[in-house]
Amino acid sequence: MTFRQARYDEPLVWELARRGGAANDAAATIPGIPERFRRAKAPDWPELSELEVVRHYTRLSQMNFGIDTSAYPLGSCTMKYNPKVSELLARRDGAAALHPYQPEETVQGALEILWRLETALAKITGLPEVSLQPAAGAHGEYAALLMIRAHIQERGELAKRTEVLLPDTAHGTNPASAAMAGFTTREIASVDGCVDVAALKAAVSDRTAAFMLTNPNTAGLFESQIGEIAETVHGAGGMLYYDGANLNAILGVTNPGRMGFDVAHLNLHKTFATPHGGGGPGAGVLAASDVLGPYLPVPRVRKTGRSFHLDYDRPKSIGKIKTGYGNFGLDLRAYAFLLTHGEEGLRHISRRAVLNANYLGQKLGKFLPRPFRTLVKHEFLLSGTPLKANGVRTLDLAKRLLDEGYHAPTIYFPSLVDEALMIEFPETESRRELDGFAAAFERAVTDTPEHLHAAPTATSVRRVDEVLAARQLHLSRKDLDLPQPS
Amino acid sequence: MPRWIPDDPETELALLTEIGLANAEELFSDVPRRIRLGRMGVGPGREEIDVVRTVDKILSRNRPYTGFANFLGGRISPRFVPAAVDSILLRSEFYTSYTPYQPEASQGMLQALFEFQSLWVELTGLDAANASLYDGATAAGEAMLLSRRIHEGDRFLIPASLPWEEKSVLANYAVGTGARIEELPFDDRTGRIDLEQTKTAVAKGGVFGILVDVPNGFGHVDETLLDLKSAIGTVPLTVVADPLALSVLSAPGDWGADIVVGEGQGFGASPSFGGPLLGLFACRREHLRFSPGRIVGATRDAEGRRAFTLTLQTREQHIRRSRATSNICTNQSLLALAFVVYATTVGPKGLAALERSLSEKARTLASALGTIDGLRAPRFDAPYLHEFAVGVTRGTAKGFLDRLRRKKILGGHPLADPRPGRGDGGPELFLTAATEFVGEKEIAKFAKTARTALAHVPGAA
Repeated sequence: MTFRQARYDEPLVWELARRGGAANDAAATIPGIPERFRRAKAPDWPELSELEVVRHYTRLSQMNFGIDTSAYPLGSCTMKYNPKVSELLARRDGAAALHPYQPEETVQGALEILWRLETALAKITGLPEVSLQPAAGAHGEYAALLMIRAHIQERGELAKRTEVLLPDTAHGTNPASAAMAGFTTREIASVDGCVDVAALKAAVSDRTAAFMLTNPNTAGLFESQIGEIAETVHGAGGMLYYDGANLNAILGVTNPGRMGFDVAHLNLHKTFATPHGGGGPGAGVLAASDVLGPYLPVPRVRKTGRSFHLDYDRPKSIGKIKTGYGNFGLDLRAYAFLLTHGEEGLRHISRRAVLNANYLGQKLGKFLPRPFRTLVKHEFLLSGTPLKANGVRTLDLAKRLLDEGYHAPTIYFPSLVDEALMIEFPETESRRELDGFAAAFERAVTDTPEHLHAAPTATSVRRVDEVLAARQLHLSRKDLDLPQPS
Repeated sequence: MPRWIPDDPETELALLTEIGLANAEELFSDVPRRIRLGRMGVGPGREEIDVVRTVDKILSRNRPYTGFANFLGGRISPRFVPAAVDSILLRSEFYTSYTPYQPEASQGMLQALFEFQSLWVELTGLDAANASLYDGATAAGEAMLLSRRIHEGDRFLIPASLPWEEKSVLANYAVGTGARIEELPFDDRTGRIDLEQTKTAVAKGGVFGILVDVPNGFGHVDETLLDLKSAIGTVPLTVVADPLALSVLSAPGDWGADIVVGEGQGFGASPSFGGPLLGLFACRREHLRFSPGRIVGATRDAEGRRAFTLTLQTREQHIRRSRATSNICTNQSLLALAFVVYATTVGPKGLAALERSLSEKARTLASALGTIDGLRAPRFDAPYLHEFAVGVTRGTAKGFLDRLRRKKILGGHPLADPRPGRGDGGPELFLTAATEFVGEKEIAKFAKTARTALAHVPGAA
């Protein structure tokens, strides 16, 4: 495949029309608004025809990678195919034209979707109490930590249990969420890519609020000592938190409940295939044990007989974490995904995702070292360290892969691996695509340093100067004139 | 089942064989036996046609607002979306893409987000906007956390009229900081906050921020706000603003706002039962390094061509971890795209004309409801745009709205906190809004039905 991305040098939208500044006739004629509260001039934004708008944004779309155009081997992001049927269903009037403040009698179907999805996710996670309120994974993390905090407070231990432990492979959101929830954080070093259980044992104490763990972890490794980890954390009176970003590897194999976790967040935009939307929206899930369940956000969806209602009578609840009940439009998409796959389909997902990672890991391991054991789950790590001898960095390799028509892997994460590349090909990628990527990777990694440094050349723009962007901030139309390259 | 997982069993077996495994079970030899599962119990998979029929059957139990005379509003707006907007959102290069961490391959989304940021900067009059947060309520929470970073103190002031969901979200965002949230009372006649009382509250010391909203939780435009900044001095002022209202109201940055947040769903996205939504966020340049969320900046590529990239990433969780300005990672990019495409499709004059048209309908509605015994409409005597609070003096707001609903009218939503023991216990209020889907006929029906409904309710004791 030869890859050439569209290159329109497309103007900014306001460069397509004469600047505004017109008198704001509409504002002037609204009665009652105090004169000094009126906007004198209409917002300075272009007046364009519909075709001009459509053509502009269609051109921009053609200057963008998506799963539908290219494989996206981003580790920990689970960039799988986003089924079209879900887009169709989410746009039905019966889903889109619902206001969250409509009376319960008029939204029975929406409540039923939420209830059915929550019920299924309780079975999948092995944790009985589920809420779909979080807008995204990190939002779920934050809510879960608030729940843990409320529980600690109820036990009268808030003054003491102030520390959240996490491994050095943890996603950045974990320590950030813990800090936002008012905890101090402490990293536990890994050994061979997995939690050093001895170090964890030494670290837990009566100050431990929780231990946050991703399993399989961000090195793609299953934390096989999870039983001992759970005993250790629980033995110290702490809660075990499951970051569900990597759930795609273990559907039907094991689950957070069985592993001993007390609370979990999942990302429906990963395992359950809702589209990432260029960075969002996602949809988060909170799943909790019976002990932490009462603290879940309000309202909870309840079924009484054949009807559904929203339960606000939850005295221990932390309250609301966003407006509405969650990202319903995404929940609906995930429900359609779940219905389609069913029990066997979900198991097949994990089997195939893990097979893809191990197959590709073995192929690419010929070109760059793999830092840890080679039996991985849904993703694997490579280290670009050997390239440094020729003055080539992992970043260069990533950019060179763009020229092959593949999105780059996740790079420089986790930080315990030098020059890391983290690669995940979810279950929706075929053998042909895996072999294609392996061939592209070989071409890239064996290319000359000059070519690697010059990459990418086939994208809409060449290598972007991120340092200049941060040094001379140009964050909106107000700030243009553009920075000059130094 | 649809073929969402490629290849036949033979190909999968060949892949296993090539890596030296006899069967798929060996892929999971690192998962201890005692934590392995039997069946999950989620039922069998289905063909696409069955999935569509099943979901459609469940959705048929909904009664979308399009089948009612619809006066629901608040922060979430049922608004007509031109077809051109959704046609752009359905470009799968956009909706199936990831966060643009590889800028060279993602110029389209980055440029659209830069345009989105520019539009929110234009509407707010502030210096810089981020590329979105989850929703208006969490954006308010983040604004409070930013205020805490840039100003001493442990007290945060909000109007008592703020919607209860926002208050609850703010309380949750305050947990980790130890901040105390205090409510500024509203005047019983106008619904406004009182400038002198606010000054007094600030003078007690320890206030690190004040948040107000326009329109406020009762739908009113509170003129007091224009003089608020001069009354509170250096205390950071956060304004929650409705983007459509800003097409006709002066930019909050021009009257002293330091941070402007808002709910952006009404620009191009359907309400979808409350999500996904769009958190809008703008602030002053000097506070950028303390601000949350992704930000797109303009720069140049290696050949000097204009290019866009995520910038100021050292604030963010993937780099700064526990010292990040926020834990947010996934945001609402696609809705930010919807926002800018909607605004550009409708155009600046079109937006202002829409706000005027809705405001006119709201005035007609107020006149129609204002004469009904058992209602006070509007409840407060202050300017408003497209929505206002109504007092129910006979029976409950919920009971009244239920009776309307049976006559195919969604009259609004009760403002009280639905959690037991949290309602204010005072006279019952609901918020009613003019939408594009109602005209004089629906307004007349609302008034007539309301009159009949209340005629059967005993008067207040």
